[in-house]
Amino acid sequence: MEGSDTYLIRPNHQHKFKPAIVRECIREIVRERLSGKRYEPEEVTELSRSLAECIKDKVKNAGFDKYKLVVQVVIGEQRGEGVKMSSRCFWDADTDNHAEDVFINENLFCQAVVFGSYYY
Amino acid sequence: MHSEKKLTKEDTWRPADLTRHIREEGDDNERRRRGGESVERRRRDPEKASRQERDKPREISREKRHEDQKYRYSDRRKEGSRDRRGDKDQERKDDRETKRERDKLVAGQRYDDDYKRRDREDKQDKEKDKERRREKEKDRERDKERHNEGQRDKRGGEREKERRTEERDKEHRRGERDRMEKPEREKTDRHLGSERHKDEYRDHRKDKERRERHGDKKDLEAKDESERTEEKRRHKEERERRHREREYQDEKRKRDSESREKRDSKGSGEEVRRHRGDRERAERDKRKQGRQREEDKEGEEEPQGNPHRDGVSSKKPASDKSHKQDPKTEAAEDEVSADQEYEDDFEEYEEDFEEMDESPGEGADEGEQRHPAAGEEREELSAQRRKEIEAIQRAMDEENQRVGAAQSRQTVSTEEEETPRGSEMGPKREGASQRGKFIDFVAAKQREVSKKVSTKQKKRSTELLRLIDLDFSMTASLLDLPPVNEYDMYIRTFGAANTRQAYVQCNEDNADRDVQTEEIEVCEKWTQHPPEHKGACGGKEKPNTMSFMFEYRVQYLCFLFLTDPNLSHEARNKGEMSFDSQRLTAFLRSASQVMVILLEEDRAERKSLRKLSSQTDTPSFSDGSLQLNTNLSFLYGRRISLVHFSQAQRHTMMSVHSPTTEPSAVRLDGCTVICIWNIWEPSRPQKVLVYESEVQCCCFSPGKAILVFAGTSVGSVVLWDLREHAGAHYRLTIGEEEWAFRQPTFSTDAVMAGSSHFSSVTSVEVVPSTAPGGLRPEVPLLASVEESSRLSFQLASLDEMGVLNFWVVVELPKANEAGSPTDLGLRPGGKVKLLHSSRLLTADRVSPRDAAKAGPLQTLLLRFLPTDSNHFFIGTNMGLVNHETSHGLKAPPKFYRFQEAGVRPIDVTSIHFSPFRQQLFLVGCGDGSIRLHQVSREHPVAEWKNGTAGEAVVSLHWTWTRPAVFCVLDAASTLHIWDLVKNDAEPVVTERMDSDRVTAVTVFGDSGQQSIYSGIALAHESGKIEMQYFSRHFTVHIEGEEEKLESMMAEGF
Repeated sequence: MEGSDTYLIRPNHQHKFKPAIVRECIREIVRERLSGKRYEPEEVTELSRSLAECIKDKVKNAGFDKYKLVVQVVIGEQRGEGVKMSSRCFWDADTDNHAEDVFINENLFCQAVVFGSYYY
Repeated sequence: MHSEKKLTKEDTWRPADLTRHIREEGDDNERRRRGGESVERRRRDPEKASRQERDKPREISREKRHEDQKYRYSDRRKEGSRDRRGDKDQERKDDRETKRERDKLVAGQRYDDDYKRRDREDKQDKEKDKERRREKEKDRERDKERHNEGQRDKRGGEREKERRTEERDKEHRRGERDRMEKPEREKTDRHLGSERHKDEYRDHRKDKERRERHGDKKDLEAKDESERTEEKRRHKEERERRHREREYQDEKRKRDSESREKRDSKGSGEEVRRHRGDRERAERDKRKQGRQREEDKEGEEEPQGNPHRDGVSSKKPASDKSHKQDPKTEAAEDEVSADQEYEDDFEEYEEDFEEMDESPGEGADEGEQRHPAAGEEREELSAQRRKEIEAIQRAMDEENQRVGAAQSRQTVSTEEEETPRGSEMGPKREGASQRGKFIDFVAAKQREVSKKVSTKQKKRSTELLRLIDLDFSMTASLLDLPPVNEYDMYIRTFGAANTRQAYVQCNEDNADRDVQTEEIEVCEKWTQHPPEHKGACGGKEKPNTMSFMFEYRVQYLCFLFLTDPNLSHEARNKGEMSFDSQRLTAFLRSASQVMVILLEEDRAERKSLRKLSSQTDTPSFSDGSLQLNTNLSFLYGRRISLVHFSQAQRHTMMSVHSPTTEPSAVRLDGCTVICIWNIWEPSRPQKVLVYESEVQCCCFSPGKAILVFAGTSVGSVVLWDLREHAGAHYRLTIGEEEWAFRQPTFSTDAVMAGSSHFSSVTSVEVVPSTAPGGLRPEVPLLASVEESSRLSFQLASLDEMGVLNFWVVVELPKANEAGSPTDLGLRPGGKVKLLHSSRLLTADRVSPRDAAKAGPLQTLLLRFLPTDSNHFFIGTNMGLVNHETSHGLKAPPKFYRFQEAGVRPIDVTSIHFSPFRQQLFLVGCGDGSIRLHQVSREHPVAEWKNGTAGEAVVSLHWTWTRPAVFCVLDAASTLHIWDLVKNDAEPVVTERMDSDRVTAVTVFGDSGQQSIYSGIALAHESGKIEMQYFSRHFTVHIEGEEEKLESMMAEGF
C-alpha cells in the first residue's frame, strides 16, 4: 500500500510560483508603504516585520498552492555605504523559486525577497 | 551506550580469565543454588558488587566485630573464595585492589568465620557475576541461544547453566525485566540495544515478570527449600543481632551521607543519585513493614529501572571515587562501611525474604509470618533507640521529599532517569513508582505516535528524495548598492540638484605634433556680386603668372557674366538674380573657354602693341606681331627647318632647329633641337627636345599636345612624351635658367631593323581616328584631358623609298625606371612606345612608265584625308600626288596630276587640305606651280603656274579662319597671300622679306565662334620666330566665300 503511494512532485502550472507576479506584489506593497518614508531606526524593525507579513499574506492569496513561503525584508539606511546582498538556496530548482525587489529612496533602501518552496 | 560499554569491558576481559571462569562456573552455580539467591538479589548484584568493592575495607572491620560468631559453613567455601581471590588478583591490577586483596587474605586467615566466609562468598559471587556479565557481553549471542534453549528445555542438567545465563542477562539488563523480555527477545531476536522496543514490552512485562519469576524460582526454591529454611533461620539470628548494632549506626550513616552530600553537592548527578541511593536504603529500613505491599508493586516498578542501566554502571566509578576518598576519611569511613555492610546484609536478608514472598502462597505466608517476627525483634530494641530511629526516619522522609521536589523541577529526561532508580534500588517509593508509571503510559503513547509519524515522514522523504533532485541555486544577487564616492556625497550634500561637474582634457600629453602634409598655400581673394564698380574681384597680387591669369580670368568671367545681354537685362528688370546652377555651370564652361581665348588675345595684343611701337617694318597683311624668344644659347646659329602647330591646341607650336656645325657653348652640336612653345608665353620655350640626327618631319599627337613624333634622316621614327618630368632628363643650367634637354622617349633606331625604314623618313602623320564619312576631329579645349588618358591611335611614317609604316602608339601602364628588357627603343622610365603594325610599299604603284622617265620615284609627303583615314595622299617627286588607301579597294583617282597630261620630275613640296572644304587640297610644287585639287577628281580644280614667280613653293597653308585665303612661301623668302574671293588669278599680298629670310612658315589661328584670330608664324633664317597676326580682312569671314570655292570647283570641270 505504501509502495504505491503517489506524490505530486510538480505543481500545477497555474499554481506554480511565478516570480513576476510575486515581484509585483512586493513592489506594490513596498512602494505603497515606503515611498517618502525616512529611516527611523526605532520603527524599522516593526516596519520590516509588518512588511514581511503583508507580503506573505498577499502572496499567499496569489494562489500558489502547496508552497511554503519565506519572506525576508531588509531595510537599511542609505548613507552612501555600499551594500551587497546575495542568497543561495539548496532546493529543487524545478519547483522552487524566489522573487525579489528592491526599493530605494534617498533615505533608505528596502530589499524584499520571497522564497517559495514547494511542499511535495 | 550500553553496547559501547560492553565493548570496552569485553576488551578488558582476558581469554585466560574467561576460560578459568568458565571452569569455575560449576562451583559458582552450586554455591548459588545453595545460597538460594533470589532474582531480585541478582538484579541488584551489580550495584551491590560495586558497593561491596567499596566496602571491602569496611568488611574487614565488620568481620572484626563479628569475630566471635561461629558458623557452620565448611572450609570448602573458603577455599573456593581463595581460588576466586586469585582470579581477582589477576583481574585487577590496581594497587588499591591488591591492597584490598591483601587485607582480605589477612582477614581470611584471621577469621575462619563461616558467616564471614559466606558473606565474602556472596560478595565474590557478585563479583563473579560481574565478570560473567562481561563474559556474557563478549559472547552474548551464544548465551542468548543457550538461554533460549534453556528456557525451552528447563531440564535439570541444564538448569544451572540456564540460570547462570539468565543471571547474566538480567545483570546485563539490570534486572528481572530481562527475563520478561525473553519471549520478546525470541521474537525480535537481536534487537538488544534498541531502546525503543522497551516501551512496547513494558506492559507485558509486568505480568510475565512475575509469572516467569515464579516459574523459574519454583524449581529452585523447591529444591533448596530445606537448605534455605535452615539458612533463613541463621539469617534471622544474624539479622537480629546486626540490627541492634546497626540501629545505632544508621544515625551515623545518615549523618555521613548528609555530610557526603554536602561534600559532593557540586558533584555530578550520579553522585547525587548515589546519595539518594543511600537515603533510599535508609528509607528501606523504615519501610520494611510495608514491604509486602511494595513487593506487589515491584513488578510495576521494575520496568522503570530499565533505562537505568547506566545508572549502575556509573555508580561504579562513583564508588571508585569514594574509594579514593577513603584514605582521607578513614575514620569516618569505618562507620560508613559498617552501615553499608549492614545494608548489604540487610539486602541479603531482604532478598531472601523476597524470594520467600514471591513464591506463590507460601512465600506470601512466610513474608507475613516474618514481618511480625521482625517487628518483634525490633520491639526488643530499646525505646530510646526506636525514637532515634524514628527521628532518623522522619529526617530522611523530609529529605526525600525535599529531594523529590527538587527533582520534579528537573526536566522530564532527568525525571525519567531518576524514577527508574527506585526500581534499581528495589521496592521503595510508591509515589515515585506511580509517577513513573503514569509518565510511561503517556510518553509511550506519545512516543509511539511520534515515532509512527516520523517513520512515515522518513519514508516519505526517502521516497520523495529519490524522485527529486535538490541542487544549489545560482547565487542570486539580491542587492548591490555601490558605495557613493566622496565627490558624489559632497555634491549631494552641498551641490545643486541634478548637476554634475565634469572636466575633460584632450591630448594633454601630446606635446608635439607632426604635420606630414605640405603647407597649404593661402591667398586672399574676393569677389563681389553684383559688381557695383569696376573691381568685382580682387586679392593680393602675386608675382605668379598663373595666379595672375586666374585672377584675370575670374575678373573676365564676372565681366562676361554680367554683360551677358539676356541675363543682365533680366537681372536689371527684376532687380534680383535668380540662380540656376545648371545654367551657371554651362555658362562657366563656355565662359572659361572664352576667357582663355580672350586672355590669350589680350596678351598677344599687348605684346604686339609693344612690338608695334618698336618695329618699323611691319608686313602689310599684319595686324601686329609677336616674337618668340629664340635668343637662347643652345638655339644660336641654328636654322629653323620646321614650324608646326598642334591641331588641337592651337597655341602650342614646335619649332625644329636643325643641327649646326658651329661650336657652341652647349654641346648639342650634332643634334636637332625641337622647341615646344606656347605662343602666349613667348619668353621661353615650354620644352626642349633633342635628337642626335636631323629631324625631317614632325607632328603632334592628336588631341592634347602631349606627344611629339618625328621622322629622322636616318630612317627612324622617334617620339617624345612631353609629360615626363624634367628631372628625368639631362639638365643644363645656361645663364640663370635651367633647361632640361629631353631625349626621345621611344626611338626605332636600329631596334626594328626588319620593319623600320631604311631611308630618311620624309613624313610622319597621325592617322585620323575618324571613320569614313565621319566628322572632322574637333577636339574641344576641355575635352582633351580624357584623350590624354587613353592613347590609342595610329601613326604612319613614310620614307623616301615609298615604304609606309603604320605604328600603334601604346602607353604602358607603368614606367620602368630600369628600362624594359624587350622594348629596347624605350627610354628607361618612358611610358609610351610604338608598335609596328603594318607596312605598305607605295612606290611600286607608280607606273613603271613614269619611273623610267624620271628615275627612281621618291615619296616626299604623306597626308591623310581628314574625313577618312583610309585614304591617304602621297606627294612624289614626279609632281603627282598618289591617292591610295590603306585597306580595301582602291579609290577612283589614282593620281592627282597637272592640268596638262604627262609627268614632270617636279617635287611635290606641300599638300594642305582646306579646313573648311575637306574635299579640297592645295598642292605646291617645286616649280612654283600651285594646284587646287578635289579629292574625287584626278585633275586640279585650278592651277596657278606663276603664283610664286617661278620660285619653288616651300610651304603652303590654308588659313584657319577664311576658307578662300591661303599663304604660300616660296624659296625666295617671299610670302604670298591668296584671297580667292578677291582674286583667283594671283595673290593679293606678296611680301618679300629680304632682310631676314624666312625659312619656314606655318599658319595659326582659331576659327572658333567667340574669338577669331589668325596669323602666320615666320621662322627666319636668323633663328627668330615671328608671329604675325593677320589683319582683319584676312581673318574675318566674308560672305560668299564658300560659294566662290564651289563655283571654282564647278568651273574646273
